[in-house]
Amino acid sequence: MTSFLPGRRTLLFFGSLLFALYVLAPIAWLVSSSFQSEAEITSVPPHWVPEQPTLENFAAIFQFSEEVVTYENRKQGDTATGGFIPSTAVNLLPSMKNSFIVALAVVVLNLLVSVPAAYALAKIRFIGRTSSIYFMLSTRVIPDIALVVPFFLFVQKLGLMDNLWALIITYLAITVPFSIFILTGYFESLPDELDKAARVDGCSRLQTLVLVYLPLALPSLVAVVLFTFLTSWNEFLLALMFTQTPASQTMPIVVASFTSDFNISFSFINAAGVMAIVPPVIIAIMFERYIVSGLTAGAVKG
Amino acid sequence: MTWCPEAADPAASGPVRKTLEMQDIKRPQRRWFVRPSSAYDQRSAMLFLAPMMLVLSVVAVFPVLYSFWISLHDLKLTRPHRVPFVWFDNYVKLFTDPLFWESVGRTASFTVMSVLAIMVIATLMSLLLNENFRGRRVLSAILLIPWAIPYVANGLMWKWIYDSGYGALNGLLMQMGLIDKYVVMLGDTAKTMPLITNAFVWKEVPLATILLLVTLKSIRADLYSAAKVDGANVLQRFVHITLPQLVPGFALVMIYESMMAIRHFDLFFILTEGGPADASHVVAWQVYVETFRKLAFGTGSALAYIMAVATFVLAYFVIRSTSRKL
Repeated sequence: MTSFLPGRRTLLFFGSLLFALYVLAPIAWLVSSSFQSEAEITSVPPHWVPEQPTLENFAAIFQFSEEVVTYENRKQGDTATGGFIPSTAVNLLPSMKNSFIVALAVVVLNLLVSVPAAYALAKIRFIGRTSSIYFMLSTRVIPDIALVVPFFLFVQKLGLMDNLWALIITYLAITVPFSIFILTGYFESLPDELDKAARVDGCSRLQTLVLVYLPLALPSLVAVVLFTFLTSWNEFLLALMFTQTPASQTMPIVVASFTSDFNISFSFINAAGVMAIVPPVIIAIMFERYIVSGLTAGAVKG
Repeated sequence: MTWCPEAADPAASGPVRKTLEMQDIKRPQRRWFVRPSSAYDQRSAMLFLAPMMLVLSVVAVFPVLYSFWISLHDLKLTRPHRVPFVWFDNYVKLFTDPLFWESVGRTASFTVMSVLAIMVIATLMSLLLNENFRGRRVLSAILLIPWAIPYVANGLMWKWIYDSGYGALNGLLMQMGLIDKYVVMLGDTAKTMPLITNAFVWKEVPLATILLLVTLKSIRADLYSAAKVDGANVLQRFVHITLPQLVPGFALVMIYESMMAIRHFDLFFILTEGGPADASHVVAWQVYVETFRKLAFGTGSALAYIMAVATFVLAYFVIRSTSRKL
């Protein structure tokens, strides 16, 4: 859409500035707070830019401190001077590892399940095609809260409580419908003639999928990987239910536990928040171009 | 066709149902019963769909049915050995409870406020991103950040900003001269819901923007050129071309975000835990309280089912509007 409104460039500039500010200001404050010591962070009015930047919060995350702060010795230090870390701080890095394992497993399994299904739904005419689509979409209608109780009892009976596999299977069920949705849309925008040409050349359906369509569907595959990874990484409610011990807790649970700890150390919480957002933000920025293109396939006309 | 020597000889004409397949590209299939091209196609499609069906049946269908079964019992984990079957007693108790209706009201107002805010901001942003200007890629990369961060991190971030003792919002207002000293933010029942709404909207705007951007990009560029030739100015082009074609996008975003707002839980857990004097006690929070704090699984399931039905009604319209693309 081209328009020659006078001052269009200034309008765009101020609009971009406004939106960039809206998006970045809270994040910038989070990052700035994480570099401030406890004493500085509790100053009134707040220091927008840290005057004495310190890395002690991040150091607290990375060191496996033997001096665990327990309920008994919590009053040894002064909250204002800091040096305190929540009692569950040592769990942060292992929980990030758990989150990463779960997310990776979910991505791989998701691709294995969704890609053939999306290809079949997009390219093959078969009985039950429309009903499969409706069935698949309707599984995501139920809010996650409604799944909490039966999952809890089910997983407990199976003895899978505290096992990462319970999370992996659950996240798989959550992300598969959306992945199939994206992939089907993209596959439908690829020409049918390729399919028929491959079949005439003697390919089986599986070969057609792997050799012909998969290489062409790369943008939407990246978008699916991205969505799936981020959903698994960020999911909170189901992880809250299925993980009781620190051995299997994922990152959102541990980060949330810092706020309900008996030690509220704001600088540490902010540093943990920064650690929590760094992986997803990096991945999202790296693959930003695929998100829009993966969703717009087939919709671009003219 | 009979003039072609190849067509007269079936062995040389390739796949058997050539005529039908040539037609089906133009004719969209809307019948419930779709005749498969061949038995091989039917088998291979079933095979390709099998893993998905397996996963979804076990993890999505079974819990739904089981959860309904539980909601018909009075299951309290505090006395797990006596589980009387109470028919729809749980539902009746909920519908006659005034606290339930209050929480429904809160959920509704939260949904309406956040969806309105999301629509306005996302529309403006997507219009901006639709233009071509230097730095647009940077802006759209920045835009994705709120979407990428975990809900938990979002909650923590806003909790810190809204802090009554040391928060940035307080500091900003004081430095701008709007208040004299720090005020209570999340603990003030009048301010709780707007603040939570703001945190929710901030996180949801990127996805809404992308959905609207997708719709915007599908508007044909030559419509604008034709309108310019006809002498339409910017405002007229916007009102008569852009807005009508954005309506399906609006509908999709509105319904999707309503679904997300109704079922949203994470922010209420992190920020207010049901709120000062129940100010932020929404239905999703009530489900959590019933299930995990009171350990009354029967009531919790019933409540969750009511939520499910409400979201299903909304989702029906999503499926209707998006299935045209499928």
